[in-house]
This record gives sequence, C-alpha cells and structure tokens, in this order.
Amino acid sequence: MTRRRLDDVDRAIVNRLSQDARTSNRQIAAELGVTEGTVRARVKRMEEKKQIRITAFTNIDRFRDVCLAYIWVEVERTSQVREVARKMATIRELGFVGEMLGRSDILAITMVRDHEHLAEFVYGQISSIPGVRRTESTLGVNFVKHDYRMARIVQ
Amino acid sequence: MSNPVAIDSHLYLDEVDHQIIALLREDGRLPFRAIARQLGLTEATVRGRVRRLEDSNTMRVVAVTDIEVSGYNMLLSVGVQVENRTPESVARSMAEIPEVFSVNVVVGTHDIEALVVAEDQAALHTLLSDRLAKLPGVRRLTPSLAVDVLKNQPDWVPL
Repeated sequence: MTRRRLDDVDRAIVNRLSQDARTSNRQIAAELGVTEGTVRARVKRMEEKKQIRITAFTNIDRFRDVCLAYIWVEVERTSQVREVARKMATIRELGFVGEMLGRSDILAITMVRDHEHLAEFVYGQISSIPGVRRTESTLGVNFVKHDYRMARIVQ
Repeated sequence: MSNPVAIDSHLYLDEVDHQIIALLREDGRLPFRAIARQLGLTEATVRGRVRRLEDSNTMRVVAVTDIEVSGYNMLLSVGVQVENRTPESVARSMAEIPEVFSVNVVVGTHDIEALVVAEDQAALHTLLSDRLAKLPGVRRLTPSLAVDVLKNQPDWVPL
C-alpha cells in the first residue's frame, strides 16, 4: 500500500491548497512560477492516486450540543474483525473506523448529541452487526484539536 | 457524514447552503460555475454563499494529505489518564505536538483520547516515552495501534 511520496512542486501546491483549496490553478501557478497546466495535472494526479483529497469541512463549534463519541468494539471471534469493520465502514454516521491492536478490536468515532443519542446509535447500528460481542463508548466533552489536513485516505 | 443536529442560530444555514457544502465535500475543487449549474443558481450567488460560509468560520475547503504519503506509517489511538492537572490543560499541551493530530477531553476510563501518528517504531517510542509520558500531569498512556484504517473522513472538526 506504500504510495509514492510527493516531490517539492507537489508539496508546494498541497501546502497552498491545504490553506485554501478554492485558490485557482492560475493563482497557484503564478505564485510558484510554473504553468497553469502543471498545477492542474499535478492536482489531478495526486487526487487520482489518493495522495490528497480536497474536501469541505464544517466547524463542529457551529453545531449545538454535539460531542464526539469513541466506540470500542470487541468481536466474538478474532477472525470476524475484518468483516465487522467492513460493515461498520459503510455506516454513514461514522467518521473513523479502524482495526486496532491492543485496547479492543475496532475503534469507531462518531458525532452524537448526548448519552441517550449515543446509546440509541450503538444499540441500533453497532450491536446489531453479527459478530459484535460487546462495545464500550466514551463521550467527548471538549474537542481540543483535530488536524483535518491529515487523514488516512482510503483507496 | 451527515449532520444530525441543528446549526446554531447565529448563522442560519438554509437548504442551498447545505447543498453547496455537500457538493464541495464530494469535490472541493468543483468550479463555482459547475455548482451554480447543478443547483440552478447564478455563479455570483454561489460565490457569495461560499464566501459567507468561509468568512463566518463555518466551512473550510482544504486539501487533506494522506498520512502515509506524509511519511507517517503508524496511526495509534492513545488513552490518557491525568493526575494533578486538569485534563483540559494536559490536552492543550498535547495539542502542541504536531504528531498528535486529534485530542479530545472525555469522560470514561481515560481523561483524554488522542490520535497520533509516527514515522516508524523508533519515532513512536520517542513520542510515547519521551514526549507524551513526560508531559506534566500525564499519569498513564494506553496506546492502541491501528493495523488497518477502513474509513477516516470526519466532516466535523473544530476550525
């Protein structure tokens, strides 16, 4: 799964786009002293190779009464981890699904309104997946940092 | 991810705003003209709406770089137990470390849940033992390694 690293020009373009991805190719080209075609082609290539993803984020502070919930899932049999994780990855409300070593088998992260909403979500969407043995949830009270310019871009 | 909750009243977002945000989530480089055509609006309207969403700090459109492409081969969740210091202030100290890319103060077995990245095992050891474990107030770290990330697309972040 190792992907090619970025060269200096790629990095300069990404640096500009990670501040504001609405900046035009023409402007980036002018700032970096390359042609507009170069910028366009490189952005396209980096997106196609899943090295970068250009997307909109909304500010969680603009939403009323929401917090992040960490949901740890333990499966019945270790051989079921992959299948359960795959099913969980299709749940729209989950922003993160990872197969883990150590604390539990799977970690999922989502946004909920309160304890009641969390319980409802876990009961309705997670516990019902075949193979899920038990779940343990943690509710966030203060979301201090999230570097949204960094993520695992799934192929 | 959809937003299941109402937006705070100080910036009222209508259906058109939500449609614009949805299109930009799919493709952050979609030209204003294309957005306008898809939603049956003028280009000037779309431009104005996007500017308002950005200026009010409600939405940002940015490039996200894959962590592996950035040279980080390991991703871990780290639960933190705190002593003699508030979880908030320990969380703020942790947030200053670039490899700590997500930090949340939580209620539960741990006081803080963080997501961290490391280049390799040696860098991970340094990050955990020398930097995080030695922060004032950190009592215990409970790391867990992500062996496969199947999904990592949070739409909700503190901007």
